[in-house]
Amino acid sequence: MDRYLLQRSLAALLTIWITTIAVSMLIHLVPGDPVQIMYAQSQGTTPEELEEVRQRLGLNEPLVVQYVQYMGRVLQGNLGTTIRGEQPVLELLLERLPNTLALAGAALLIACVIGLVSGFIAAYKRGSWLDTSLMTTAILGVSMPHFWLGLILLFFFAVRLQWFPVAGNGIENLVLPAVTLGVTNAAIIARLTRSSMIDVFDQDFIRTARAKGLPKAMVLYGHALRAGLVPIVTMIGLQFTYMMGGAIVVENVFGWNGVGRMAIQAIFQRDYPLIQGFILMFACIVVTVSLLMDVIYAWLDPRIRY
Amino acid sequence: MQQRVRNAMAIASAAGSHVDPVPDTQGRWYVFARNLHTVFSAATANRGAKLGFFLVLALIVVAIFAPLIAPYPADQMGAGMSLLPPNGDYWFGTDEFGRDIFSRVIYGARLTIQVGLIAVGISLTIGTITGLVAGYAGGWTERVLMRLVDVVFSFTETLIALAAVAVLGPSLTNAMIAVGVAAIPFYARVAYSVTLVERNRAYFDAAYVAGAGHLRLIFVHLLPNIVPPLIVVATLGVSSAVLAAAGLSFLGLGAQPPSPEWGAMLSAGRDYFTLAPWIMIYPGVAIMIVVLAFNLLGDGIREALDPRQKS
Amino acid sequence: MSVRMTVALTGAILLGIAAPTMADDIVWARDGDIDSLDPHRATSTLSRQVWYQIYDSLLEFNDAGEPVPNLAESWEVADDGTEVTFTLAEGIVCHDGSPFNADDVVWTAERALGEDNPSLTKASWGPITSVDKVDDLTVSFKFSKPFGAFVPFMADQFTSMLCDTNADADGFGVSSALGTGPWKFASWTKGSEIVLGKNADYVNRGRPVDNDGAPFADRLVVRTMPEAQTRVAGLRTGELNVIAPPIQEVKSLQEDEAVDVHVATGTGQNMFLQFAVNRPPFDDARARRAVSHAIDKDMAIQVVYGDLVERQYCPISRGVFGNDPEFCKQYDQDYDPEQAQALLSELGYGPDNPMEVTLATWTGDSRERMLQMIQNQLSQVGIQANIEVMDIGTLNARDTQENNREEGPGYMDLMGWTWFDPDLLYLLWHSPGAYEGFHTPELDAILEEMRSTVEPEARKEVVQQAFKILLEEAGQVPIYTPGWAWLYAVSADTPGFKIGPFNRAQFAAMQP
Repeated sequence: MDRYLLQRSLAALLTIWITTIAVSMLIHLVPGDPVQIMYAQSQGTTPEELEEVRQRLGLNEPLVVQYVQYMGRVLQGNLGTTIRGEQPVLELLLERLPNTLALAGAALLIACVIGLVSGFIAAYKRGSWLDTSLMTTAILGVSMPHFWLGLILLFFFAVRLQWFPVAGNGIENLVLPAVTLGVTNAAIIARLTRSSMIDVFDQDFIRTARAKGLPKAMVLYGHALRAGLVPIVTMIGLQFTYMMGGAIVVENVFGWNGVGRMAIQAIFQRDYPLIQGFILMFACIVVTVSLLMDVIYAWLDPRIRY
Repeated sequence: MQQRVRNAMAIASAAGSHVDPVPDTQGRWYVFARNLHTVFSAATANRGAKLGFFLVLALIVVAIFAPLIAPYPADQMGAGMSLLPPNGDYWFGTDEFGRDIFSRVIYGARLTIQVGLIAVGISLTIGTITGLVAGYAGGWTERVLMRLVDVVFSFTETLIALAAVAVLGPSLTNAMIAVGVAAIPFYARVAYSVTLVERNRAYFDAAYVAGAGHLRLIFVHLLPNIVPPLIVVATLGVSSAVLAAAGLSFLGLGAQPPSPEWGAMLSAGRDYFTLAPWIMIYPGVAIMIVVLAFNLLGDGIREALDPRQKS
Repeated sequence: MSVRMTVALTGAILLGIAAPTMADDIVWARDGDIDSLDPHRATSTLSRQVWYQIYDSLLEFNDAGEPVPNLAESWEVADDGTEVTFTLAEGIVCHDGSPFNADDVVWTAERALGEDNPSLTKASWGPITSVDKVDDLTVSFKFSKPFGAFVPFMADQFTSMLCDTNADADGFGVSSALGTGPWKFASWTKGSEIVLGKNADYVNRGRPVDNDGAPFADRLVVRTMPEAQTRVAGLRTGELNVIAPPIQEVKSLQEDEAVDVHVATGTGQNMFLQFAVNRPPFDDARARRAVSHAIDKDMAIQVVYGDLVERQYCPISRGVFGNDPEFCKQYDQDYDPEQAQALLSELGYGPDNPMEVTLATWTGDSRERMLQMIQNQLSQVGIQANIEVMDIGTLNARDTQENNREEGPGYMDLMGWTWFDPDLLYLLWHSPGAYEGFHTPELDAILEEMRSTVEPEARKEVVQQAFKILLEEAGQVPIYTPGWAWLYAVSADTPGFKIGPFNRAQFAAMQP
């Protein structure tokens, strides 16, 4: 198992390393002159001044040198400053990251509660009308564009009914975005839980337990749930990375002050240092979470020996 | 974007799906046709898949015959008064310029088909070739290719699509490319794992011993046999691509006005939500129906191909 | 699952919760955030609006839009126009309690003009050779040649006066900002809100607002709320006092007795079309005129904005020196699709060979709707326009790039500039020009003359010569004014809001 974890950690490091290369080269993939785009807001920037900026950003150096310089800065925790307003990128990202994590976390909680319960019920009542209607709802949920659901919730509950305050970044403002993100994902969890539980119910030891006449509840909770948990945990790990991605869109619907909203703005404003920082940070989070999930999975299921 | 996890599941089950190996004596076109038939009959055997199939068919018909179905051109201003609620003449109402929303939604179907074809085309082609080559070649080629695929896979599709748009600039074409590129790993992984299985089958050994070249082995012998699982992934992939591209357009990073792309219509309609909610509601419903159709179809085929998934 | 939960909980704990607003606050919600608190590091209207609350300038604009004393109680322009001397008012105090005097002015100017990271708007300060402290209350600016636009520029937010104690403060522009204005900076939660406290010692020396002293409210909270409909909802529930309303909702807000809608006039903003003139088709004035003839400007304005904006005929906005609609109407292009088609066929375009162009603008304020109207009208004369909407910074860069491209389809865009003086024309159209676009040797000569002409009658004549060329050649096609951030919806419970000239929101007289 140690060997397995070591392998996984190395793979994670490799991913991050490749990301840093991709991110540092991003600016060279942009059509047109990135420096001109960046400094378009100042009046009368002369070609000499633009050249000076190019020099300052090291854009005239060979690519390898640029990469080394970039890595040198990144390792010191310096992700550069934004074009708009010249603010430190890392600081801006870290200020907003908790908001995004809170949104993704709350949504995951909602998705897990709804998804696990309804998936479990559907599996237990397999073939019944309850199963059919739960799974129909689930496929509808999966097909729902969440920016659309979000807008409808926003206008109905916040604008029309005014159940939620519209301003601010408090817990009460978290409810609607978290529900939007959570509900569409609950559907996915429900479907996977159902199929995973069906597999478990079909296994011999459950049948035996049932045949032996053990109380129903004990069979369900004591045996089935525990056995079915392993694949579900992996899936939830994947869900978290998805939640982070989904948060980018949902934040923009609700004006939630997270990294996703900032990233979209940065793309519009072509604020490349901020875009680079965002991608790098996001990649690190996703990779770290997947690694953690691998660890937990290996710990839950000792059969894993690669 | 939404279907990352489901696609991961599809990979797992598609890789293990059963299409009985066919003796190569019958010829490769036979293999291909037989596989297509398997998929098709699988699709029609399942209730949900049948519904999905007809919805997809309807979408294609609507897209092809849009000029005949839509009462007005998509961009015609003053087709009616502005902001008319849905009524007998303007089934879905009109927008702020008096454009007929029903006509716009109908024309939007064409863009949706385009998104599906182009985005899935990109990911299917590149992904399949990557997976096939990696699975076939083994050794260093395999390790490097699949490690790269893993790296791309470990980001969310959203992030890759955003990075691509950040570089390319906002437009519907760029959004399609971005979404297509982001989904490559799914296809590569499926193609790879099925190739590993197929490579060990008798017909492959026979062809190898008979002295078939690399390209022939890959494209003539392996490719037809990995089609069924790829169809599952591609069908579900259309629904992800449609959702993702609409999301980018919604954020202003995709289709530009006055394009009747559904995500862009929805985004423009939000300014009028309290005055004219219909501008926003119908494009949203349209996206949902199309995504649902492809999901039903893809799920149906997958369940039919994979006995373990049957309920 | 436990890991997920922990993440969720940690997130919730770390979550920044907005400080509850109190009864004596004024809450102002806008669609975006400032870029910086440092007036030398940003150019956006959103930033300028906030600087104006924190900083004073040496001069102010009165209701008529003329420069009047503010921090400087008087100023004097030397006869040859190469020196301007300001005498500061006595007893001005910075937000940190230190006195405001000539040292602060010199510090601010040198910071803006210095070699090392100068102000983004350094070019507007003019050909300054030195800034000198004469005594504690006297400062002189010396120029290499006369510069007529300097005095009004000293009333602009780009010349906000900073206290030299900012040099000692940590994080000026981000977490600290010391000025002399009616509101003191308290905190900035980026992307969310800026909190300003009242400057209890404030003495109003020049601001056009009915309050000679400190603001009536205790705090001014500036919120960022991107979704327009939620701003409206917040105003209606009383959570917000002042909002930037969406155009679509203005009518219903005007009918609402609990809301006062203020429409800024005399903003100096001008929305116009400009072209990539260094390649076909728009290197030919006939193609530009054809576009101008093809657009029914009044109708487009009416459909998109109703009476919230007005038609603009001159290259600089109403309320700015030299603007004269009657004069400009003689030289601009009337709506005349037949004339447009005639010009197009002269150029070889027709039904078999339609002109294809890109039509761009920046996001917001329903400008994309304006483009759709223009696109529709252009299509009537056979011009196919593809719309692109982008961020203002990107658009600025794009215009320059398009002017430097020799190949590709025609390009034009709906651009907007705001300035209080016709010197704007020099910035835009004197070669090479802000976008390296339209310019002629004749226009260059006129604009140079305009810059060094100080006497008003003579200056007006020169300005109008420039108008004539710009309009006849259709280098700049004016359409409407104002263009952005000119609407304010204010709760009737908190009266006293006022918009000064050049769209300066005044909160000092608001009753919380």
